[in-house]
Amino acid sequence: MKKNVLLIAVFSFFFYSGSVFSEPTVQEIVNKANNVSFYQGKDGKASISMTISDNQGRTRKRVFKILRFDIADGGNQKFFVYFSAPADVENMVYMVWKNVDGNDDRWMYLPALDLVRRIAATDKRSSFVGSDFVYEDISGRSLELDTHELVSSEQDTYKIRNTPKNSNEVEFAYFDVYIRKDNFMPYKAEYFNKKNKLYRTIEALEIKDINGFPTVLKSKATDIEKGSNTIIEFSEVEYDLGFEENIFTERFLRRPPRKWLK
Amino acid sequence: MVKIRSILTILLFFTLFNSNASASFKLGKNGPSVSGFAETAIGFKFGTDTTLHDDYNMMEERFQLKTKWYPEFMDILSDYMAEIAFKGDMLIDGYDEAEANFDLRELNLALSPTGWLDLKIGRQVFTWGTGDYLFVNDLFPKDYISFYIGREDEYLKKPNDGAKLSLYSKNINFDIVLIPFFEPNTIFTGERLSFFDSFRQSISGIESNRSLIEPNQEIDNIEFATRLYRNFGSIEGALYTFRGFYKLPRGYLNEAEKQLLYPRLDVYGGSVRGPVLGGIGNIELGFYDSKEDSSGDERLIENSAVKYLLGYSKDLGNDFSIGLQYFHEQMLDYDEYKASLMQGEFNRDEHRHLFTLRATKLLKSQTVRANIFLFYSPSEKDAYLRPSIHYNVTDDFNISIGANLAWGEYDYTEFGQMEKNKNVYLRARYNF
Repeated sequence: MKKNVLLIAVFSFFFYSGSVFSEPTVQEIVNKANNVSFYQGKDGKASISMTISDNQGRTRKRVFKILRFDIADGGNQKFFVYFSAPADVENMVYMVWKNVDGNDDRWMYLPALDLVRRIAATDKRSSFVGSDFVYEDISGRSLELDTHELVSSEQDTYKIRNTPKNSNEVEFAYFDVYIRKDNFMPYKAEYFNKKNKLYRTIEALEIKDINGFPTVLKSKATDIEKGSNTIIEFSEVEYDLGFEENIFTERFLRRPPRKWLK
Repeated sequence: MVKIRSILTILLFFTLFNSNASASFKLGKNGPSVSGFAETAIGFKFGTDTTLHDDYNMMEERFQLKTKWYPEFMDILSDYMAEIAFKGDMLIDGYDEAEANFDLRELNLALSPTGWLDLKIGRQVFTWGTGDYLFVNDLFPKDYISFYIGREDEYLKKPNDGAKLSLYSKNINFDIVLIPFFEPNTIFTGERLSFFDSFRQSISGIESNRSLIEPNQEIDNIEFATRLYRNFGSIEGALYTFRGFYKLPRGYLNEAEKQLLYPRLDVYGGSVRGPVLGGIGNIELGFYDSKEDSSGDERLIENSAVKYLLGYSKDLGNDFSIGLQYFHEQMLDYDEYKASLMQGEFNRDEHRHLFTLRATKLLKSQTVRANIFLFYSPSEKDAYLRPSIHYNVTDDFNISIGANLAWGEYDYTEFGQMEKNKNVYLRARYNF
């Protein structure tokens, strides 16, 4: 028995080129997956196009740019979301200070009124701009809110089950995330309702390395119950542009920093 | 006839743009992109008064074009992040003989010459403060006709020709706004909306013949507004000053000639806004110093006052949110005010209390926004309800249905005087 363990250890040593002898713990997996999904680089930028299709095939489009700054990996972040389409939200801007330990701070700038409005948005499970993605899909769900369990470890995939500590706060009973072993990129999430029925999925359709960071370029959220889906496409993705935390203020909410948005 | 033709023009326009189904278009290959909308709106009125029309108080087509341009033909322009904004409305106002009016909403140049300075010069909208439809330190002009007939919120704010200088530092930021040309609030004249005319002591329509005398255009009459602000973590704090004029005609220039004026006004105030009890809370305070009636005994000029508001808004989940506000206005030197009144003259209360409630629900994947906003004043015994439903039929086409319903026990209160102007409106807008 002891011998076998040793053998596996030796094998692992060669196959994983010295990095690990045993599988990472669940906590390590979810931490890494969280960082890969939401904290690549020190900062980042992307142009995003969302196509929302309802159950009758009608589509709506949302186009916006995101600037992100990480205060700490796995910790607090700041975001700008600059909308360019549809026309009725053109030039509207969101600013979000994500607080992993509590409610986010959110502001919205309405250029027609020159108004900076503070948004009391505490429901992170509500739809993001009317799409099948919810706020948490875009900005990340705090790892502290769920318990994590390694359901299976296949050849190249970890399957992690996430069960909310407080089930009254969310619409799901649990969700399973499929994470690639080589780069810890989650590529699929399946949400189950309280009747243990799959009702929602998110799938990465295209993943590419950008500046050495694995990056999802296309992803699809499907609401199985409603029969709707949203495809989100990322372009002009860049990391480590080098902007400072202090651009996430009212000044640049009113006057977008063109330098970083080009 | 004119009316029908203009509707046809708009329909034609809709069709043209629908056929190529493109959102916004570009001027030249690298030129600025132009967007805008075409809108038709009608407001059916119920309530008989002596305004120009009995059946409606809004019937108009509006065509807006806007663009932003980042000129870079000189290095200095790109170094300063120059930005030129234009927004103009062509309004065919069927209320007033279908006259076409051009309304320049924005034409300004923004520059950031250094890392700590922004400048915006030209026609622009200024807004600050923390209230929701209530304003304490925002002394910039508003259009209350647009507000009461059911135009889009955008039209509540009137643009100014002016300049805004913003200074930034690590710990504190400072805005100063300069308004060389006085711009009052747009208020009721009796033609479109009836109101309580103090000269006639009754709700009046076109028979109202008072005149509003604006301050002369001279250097002494340039208005200034400042805001000093910073964040304390998630909490936003601001201090405000204003030096200028009341935006409402709160003084009598000549009673016999039925002339009202906009008295001089200084305002000092502050606000705090931040997360509290799982929502957002705000407090705003303003001291209104009526410069032409500092001691309160000038019968013909508004007294000084203290105004404050408390607000709280919360997201209740499932795309449902509410907002509550309490607003209090206290007239200062009330004894002097009372002593200065003539016999039989109408006597205002010292205190005015006002509550507001906003409830918003998003439905159908956030394509439908149902909203109510209620003003209620127990001291004035009046109320004003604004329900509305806004539906984005497609990304480019939306319709809004709403109502403006004001009641009051007395004709002379803010909402009581609007009782005859109740309307139900419908707007359809095509964005491009």
